Amino acid sequence: MDQLVQRFPGSRLAVNAATAFVIWLALTWLNQVIDPLMSYYLATAAMYATAMFGMTILLGLSGQVSLGNGALMAVGGYVFALTSLNWQTVPILGTPWNAVWSMIFAGIGGVVFGLVIGGIAARLRGPYLAGLTLGVAVGVPAIANRFPGLLGGENGLMLQVPYPAGGYQSVSEVPSDDFSEEGSGEDFGGDEPLYEEIPDDLFDEAPVDDGFAEEDMLTDDDMLTEDDFLSEDDFATDEGFEADVDSDLDSGVAEEDLLTEDDFLSEDDFATDEGFEADLDSELDEGAADELVDTPGIGDSDVGGDLDVAGVDSGFVIEQWQASVAIAVACIVGFIALNLVRGRQGRVWQAVRDDPIAAAVSGISPSGSKVSAFVVSSLFAALAGAVFAQILSYVGPGAFTLGLSLSLLVGIVLGGRNSFIGAIIGAVILVWLPEFVLGLSADRGWEDQITNNAPNFIYGLLVVIVVLVAPGGLVGGVQGLLRRGKAGSRSG
Amino acid sequence: MIDFVNYLLGGISSGAIIALMALALVLVWRSTRVVNFAQLGQAMFTTYVALTVRDLTGSWILGLVVAMASGLVLGVVVHFLVIRPVKRLDTSGAIIATFGVLIALEALAAMVWGGDPEAFPPPIDNSGYEFFGRTWPFSPYDLLVLVSVLVLVLVLSIVFTRTSVGLAMRASAFNPEVARLSGVRVSRMLVLGWAIAGLVGAVAGVLVAPLSTLSPTSFDIFLVFAFTAAVIGGLDSLVGAVAFGIGTGLVIALVSGYSDSSNAPLVALALLVLNLLFKPEGVFSHGKARAV
Repeated sequence: MDQLVQRFPGSRLAVNAATAFVIWLALTWLNQVIDPLMSYYLATAAMYATAMFGMTILLGLSGQVSLGNGALMAVGGYVFALTSLNWQTVPILGTPWNAVWSMIFAGIGGVVFGLVIGGIAARLRGPYLAGLTLGVAVGVPAIANRFPGLLGGENGLMLQVPYPAGGYQSVSEVPSDDFSEEGSGEDFGGDEPLYEEIPDDLFDEAPVDDGFAEEDMLTDDDMLTEDDFLSEDDFATDEGFEADVDSDLDSGVAEEDLLTEDDFLSEDDFATDEGFEADLDSELDEGAADELVDTPGIGDSDVGGDLDVAGVDSGFVIEQWQASVAIAVACIVGFIALNLVRGRQGRVWQAVRDDPIAAAVSGISPSGSKVSAFVVSSLFAALAGAVFAQILSYVGPGAFTLGLSLSLLVGIVLGGRNSFIGAIIGAVILVWLPEFVLGLSADRGWEDQITNNAPNFIYGLLVVIVVLVAPGGLVGGVQGLLRRGKAGSRSG
Repeated sequence: MIDFVNYLLGGISSGAIIALMALALVLVWRSTRVVNFAQLGQAMFTTYVALTVRDLTGSWILGLVVAMASGLVLGVVVHFLVIRPVKRLDTSGAIIATFGVLIALEALAAMVWGGDPEAFPPPIDNSGYEFFGRTWPFSPYDLLVLVSVLVLVLVLSIVFTRTSVGLAMRASAFNPEVARLSGVRVSRMLVLGWAIAGLVGAVAGVLVAPLSTLSPTSFDIFLVFAFTAAVIGGLDSLVGAVAFGIGTGLVIALVSGYSDSSNAPLVALALLVLNLLFKPEGVFSHGKARAV
């Protein structure tokens, strides 16, 4: 490949683009075939990977231990939330605001913060840098408390999930301590993803409440149309309706005679109940998934559950959409990262890490190189933070704890800090291990206290073991084994 | 003016405790050139041990003694299991390993004692003294804290300056090679440094717990404060750690008093940044913090 690159200077770009594109294609296909819960895990893993690509550059290539990336994710998340909540049009261009613009601004916010923190941090070595970024990780989320009006204080901000077209259905700030909005049936609570999958006009036509039965049951017209119930047409419609229950609930419900018939058979109630039961599993899983977001973080926090999605098309699965956003961002970021690392900048970072003085003699500015590593990793972290905000539909100090920063460190160390594959593996570990422990706990009947904290305990032990036994993480360890195997076969 | 005095008085005991925590960080740094980011995780763990002992026996003193003993043991264990094997590797490995210990200890504490904040009742009255017809934010418990810290610092300074073990420890911190040539068992001094640091951290944990609540992560913020104090003091100066520990505590008390306690981490961060920008080697030290 090196020869190829030498002959055609543009081909490295092409190879990297092709790599990123193939991964994007594979993940997008995967996202279409898996169920919503798996899509949720995919989204979270892609989000972690995005942030950890930056850690690969900062920790692996540039050799700086930073705990500030969780705080930089907070920057991205808050910028995303604020711009999408408050800005209707793009400032100078005047075009309607959409989620892509929020992502761009989140990235800009990350770069600015990266410059500031990197400018200070690049002058420091080892423990001083780690301690300073520890302070950043603890201090920056506290800024939210400083400006309760703008940033929502301890409660954080709720935000609308971007609509597939790239914009938002309605941009309005939902009071974070008051989930229910009067009047609309789909705003019952933040923890019912049910409404994503059942068209909301069903609820308009036939509210699940007792109001439905009272009004229609007692009307004389209904009592008099008994022959409707006996006619064959109605039976036919009924069968059709039953067959269609899964695919399209509201097709029959809207019709007058069906409603009347439902009054007698209370079939509509059954249908609704089925809907509820069918969704019960995914709802429970969703709850578990929400916990999962918190568990990697060490500070326990109650992040608000999924926000309702007003007026979303039927067939739109919110987890799938979030995963597709997260995958797209991860692949774009991965493409940028590959280009930087395989190019001149990657060699500059390595040179400064291995020997700052020799690098300086060769005309490289060591501090400049460290700042640039910081800025790139901040950009990636901020984009990951913006994705995180979309996955949670929420930003707040409780989402961006020191625990989040520590999780990123855990992930990159376990996966392998010297390669992007390591970052991806680390992201998968971060998502998979809590789920694995949850499964174990369900089998053995552990207490919640044990189940919720066991993943972090395992992370901590694994980090120590990896540092002692295989500093290159899982990827480095496997590479080492392969190399040893090769050397062994050669000598033997 | 009366507010100012109030805030200062309120900050004395927490300042003294931050001084102890910074002292623990400095002791470890002097012995192995590692900042032990798990130091306050260890302190949190031993404080839970103290709380358990106290609940079982009803004796605060016994809880403190058991915490000190377990802190000492924990320090030695972490040194032998984690730091000694990792030391020959890169410094970032050591830093990451201490964070690994921190994560594991916090999770272990949450598994054993639960993640919810628990009250740690003070052994004596924690309501302020009354003088001149007003209540001052300085309680008998604050006095106990202050006296305990002073006694501990005094004992440590006597050990370091007046005993042969202290001399050996200072020698191995100053120049391990020369110390070894002079017949000092440097590796033992390193273990001793970790042990004393664990003990000091345990005392700090037991003393600070009644001032707020105890939870697996409640000491995270003190890690930032203690690190700030230790770095400003020069990271290898015991005097600096104590002086700037108290100073950091007072500044935080003032800022929290005049504005809001949620600003405390930002203040610590600002202090740290200012120090690292203008006097990165610390006030009491000759070391080098800057890489380039």
